[in-house]
Amino acid sequence: MRKPMDKSSRRTFLKSGLVLAGGVVASGLLKPFNAVVLAGDKPKGEGPWYGIGIDIEKCIGCGRCAKSCKLENNVPMEPFYFRSWVEQYTIKKDGEVTIVSPNGGIDGFKQTVPDNEIFKSFFVPKMCNHCYKSPCVQVCPVGATFVSPEGVVLVDPNYCIGCRYCVQACPYGCRFLNPEKNVADKCTFCYHRLQKGMSPACFANCPTKARIYGNLRDKSSELVSFIKNHTCMVLKPNLNTGSKLFYNALSMEVR
Amino acid sequence: MTFAVVIALFLGVRYLLVPKSFGEYGHYRGLALAENADRPLHYSTSANCARCHEDIFGDKSKGHHAGLSCEGCHGPAGKHVLFSDSTHTIKLADSLILKRDSTRQFCAVCHEKNAARIKILFDTINKSVVKVVEEKKHNHLFDKETHKLLNCIECHNPHDP
Ligand code: HEC
Ligand code: HEC
Ligand code: HEC
Ligand code: HEC
Repeated sequence: MRKPMDKSSRRTFLKSGLVLAGGVVASGLLKPFNAVVLAGDKPKGEGPWYGIGIDIEKCIGCGRCAKSCKLENNVPMEPFYFRSWVEQYTIKKDGEVTIVSPNGGIDGFKQTVPDNEIFKSFFVPKMCNHCYKSPCVQVCPVGATFVSPEGVVLVDPNYCIGCRYCVQACPYGCRFLNPEKNVADKCTFCYHRLQKGMSPACFANCPTKARIYGNLRDKSSELVSFIKNHTCMVLKPNLNTGSKLFYNALSMEVR
Repeated sequence: MTFAVVIALFLGVRYLLVPKSFGEYGHYRGLALAENADRPLHYSTSANCARCHEDIFGDKSKGHHAGLSCEGCHGPAGKHVLFSDSTHTIKLADSLILKRDSTRQFCAVCHEKNAARIKILFDTINKSVVKVVEEKKHNHLFDKETHKLLNCIECHNPHDP
């Protein structure tokens, strides 16, 4: 025979349940997602802490970022391996949204929808967001992916076991498995160029300065004034990834 | 007793498996930072080209293409800039030569008419970042002698358009 639940134990159960739920809500309130990290909890330390600003109004979709990224970093040439790429979003007058990215934009874009059907159209350059609460770093079982002191998310190819957890975990689709080395591959913010005092390839080869990078710790940096003077958004703020890539003029259709 | 052996074994295996520089900066192998930083360069910088190609650099800085990087059009020149010996350089410059008859496609990457390039069309943002032409229409002319399509650089200097 089943013993009926004793009243007091049910009460404690409900109570603890309530406390738990309250705790969850409270901890949510304690850490609201700070889309703009400036007000948020910057890690302690000195030196630069890098972020990115992309101005969609200035992007002309030339794909030089995608091309120089591939050549600088020996990214496999097949049209589905990218560390940096450009998408064209077209919102038609009937509300339909089409997204194209032929070879990541490297060979140029052909307009696919006739002018008279277009409500608006724009280019969205994409790359690793170098999140400071990266889901990809959190899921790595062997500590082979990590955040450098400069806030750059890197992979240690010698210790990566190629399990693909991080590829799945990245909500922005910025990782892939390198077909030659069988390890996770992603944007390194051209760490090798940064450390030599050079701009990463995609920034250096942008003809319109649609993309900039800078030190988020330095309140007078170009990037901080970019964020201050534009209506900036990060991608998927609801996921609270702590993305450090700020888009100006980002339409909500962009995923 | 067995307990002590198991612990000792665990410490031994751990010592062998955990890389030397692990935890130096954080929960990762510290050396991975240096390895990432040491990767070879492919692209140089436009400022570097000025050293030997002053004339072109000067032309470009005063024209509409001032904001463009040399390698954005010419491709990676990291090796090319390293050699001052001219025999070396000529060989290494081969990959940087842009073919004359490819410019109609090449310039179009930035200048082909596209709804996303002419934001003025939709009277929300009253400006355009780049002037566009229709490659199929803009001076789509054939040379009288060779009967070949006129290239963009026949009329526009790519370094000062
Ligand atoms: C150390 C001096 C030096 C530097 C730095 C240098 N070049 Fe050169 N470059 C040369 C020489 C020498 C030649 C071969 C002579 C010639 O044909 O004019 C050459 C040839 C070229 C050519 C082919 C010209 C042709 O028609 O044969 C291109 C394109 C070029 N360089 C681009 C660049 C770019 C872009 C950069 C900057 C990233 C650069 N160079 C930096 C010395 C240099
Ligand atoms: C808009 C794209 C573009 C940019 C930016 C550009 N070039 Fe060129 N460059 C060309 C094209 C196209 C040619 C071929 C011209 C020809 O065949 O007459 C060329 C030719 C050259 C040549 C060989 C022919 C000559 O005129 O002597 C050199 C050297 C050269 N470029 C260097 C540079 C350097 C240095 C820079 C940066 C300061 C630069 N280019 C920027 C497109 C570009
Ligand atoms: C990487 C992108 C890119 C490429 C490739 C490129 N251009 Fe440009 N071009 C630009 C940008 C950006 C501007 C506008 C710069 C400004 O005025 O601020 C421009 C300006 C111009 C202008 C001046 C338009 C005006 O304002 O009157 C002409 C003409 C031109 N380009 C011709 C060419 C030709 C010819 C080629 C091929 C050799 C070429 N461009 C290749 C990006 C590019
Ligand atoms: C026969 C010579 C000739 C050729 C070939 C030529 N252009 Fe032009 N282009 C001109 C002249 C002249 C102008 C200025 C008058 C005008 O706007 O038509 C011009 C203007 C432009 C402009 C500025 C347009 C504006 O709205 O102010 C761009 C951009 C341009 N050309 C790009 C190109 C590109 C890209 C090519 C190659 C596909 C090319 N041109 C081929 C002669 C030429």
